[in-house]
Amino acid sequence: MYADNQNDITRLVVRSAQLLLAYGADSDLVEELSQRLGKALGLASVELSISSNALVLTSLVHGRCITTTRRIRAHGINMMVVCELQRLCLLTEKGVYGANEVRRRLARIKPKTYPAKIVIPIIGISCASFCHLFGGDLMACVLTFLASSIGMAVRLYFAKRHYNLLVNFAITAFVTNVVAQIGYIFPITDTPQVTLAASVLMLVPGFPLINAISDMVKGHINVGISRWGNASLLTLASVIGITIAMQLGGIF
Amino acid sequence: MLSLLLDLLHDAFFSAIPALGFAILFNVPQRYLGYCALAGALGHSFRTLLMHFNMPIEWATFAAAALVGVITIQFAKRHLAPPLMYAVAAIIPMVPGTYAFNTVIALIQLTAQSQVSPELSALVIVNGLKTVFILGALAVGLALPSLLYYRNRPII
Repeated sequence: MYADNQNDITRLVVRSAQLLLAYGADSDLVEELSQRLGKALGLASVELSISSNALVLTSLVHGRCITTTRRIRAHGINMMVVCELQRLCLLTEKGVYGANEVRRRLARIKPKTYPAKIVIPIIGISCASFCHLFGGDLMACVLTFLASSIGMAVRLYFAKRHYNLLVNFAITAFVTNVVAQIGYIFPITDTPQVTLAASVLMLVPGFPLINAISDMVKGHINVGISRWGNASLLTLASVIGITIAMQLGGIF
Repeated sequence: MLSLLLDLLHDAFFSAIPALGFAILFNVPQRYLGYCALAGALGHSFRTLLMHFNMPIEWATFAAAALVGVITIQFAKRHLAPPLMYAVAAIIPMVPGTYAFNTVIALIQLTAQSQVSPELSALVIVNGLKTVFILGALAVGLALPSLLYYRNRPII
């Protein structure tokens, strides 16, 4: 294997690792997939060092090492990208794809998201069924649907304009909670407190939390801790929003 | 017996909806959405069944998360997709949202008062401990198959 060839393959591998981390895969998966992809493309070994916002990768062939660093900017969770990369790795391993095909497929990966007109109502219905599971009555569920749909619309609006995620969560929690307080003002439901609890559940950072613990359990302590810190900050931001809304509404 | 079955079905239906909703939020590809909903329904209704037999919520969550872990690994093998993709959406209905909410609300009330009241401190401690332990049970239960069975080999 020639030197420029090794350069090329290392770039492909580090690109796929970068995409995986940016779109929310856990460290174990990133390490496993990039090592397998590298070996399938002919590298002798691939070593990774992952931290919270950067990635260092070294590839080794015939005693020659190439080390490269990539900055990682979190783009939010997109499982379509992760799924595509997993398939790419498996097909390369089976010998279906060579380096050129891998390069072409990597260039073609685009993070597609579901349109807002699907996401907003489905999240509203999800929070309404949380409300039902927690024992809220029908009007409480309807209110939850209303509050979380409006909240989700606000969240997508601010995410589209690239606001800081913490600011976004605080504002979303505030708006959601204000709408959910209708149940306290008008006596249409007997369980207004269930509405308050269920409507903000869409802000629970489920993916970062699970990724954090799963990373720490599998030995990636530093990434796990930073993900945990991130998830705690997001929770704290939504708590600030909720607190302001509840103190304005006078519910204490 | 019949009422228990109806309860479980009711539970499965209303936990499949959030699992599906959050799978859409996480941009799971369309052809796998149904599997996320199925795993979510099975997990949550299994937890309800265990809690019906007086198992504490933490242990029931642990067992249900382990079940979700096993099921989603089967899905992942069949579709060649990462197992965590199904699993995280599937356990969203079991995330201790109300406990976390109650903890935080009690904390804020504690802050608003000028002296420490034992009732509010008790609320903070009880709900906070439940939150932490249920979250831990979820994550460790989910990782259980790869910790015990797939130790040194890849899942797919």
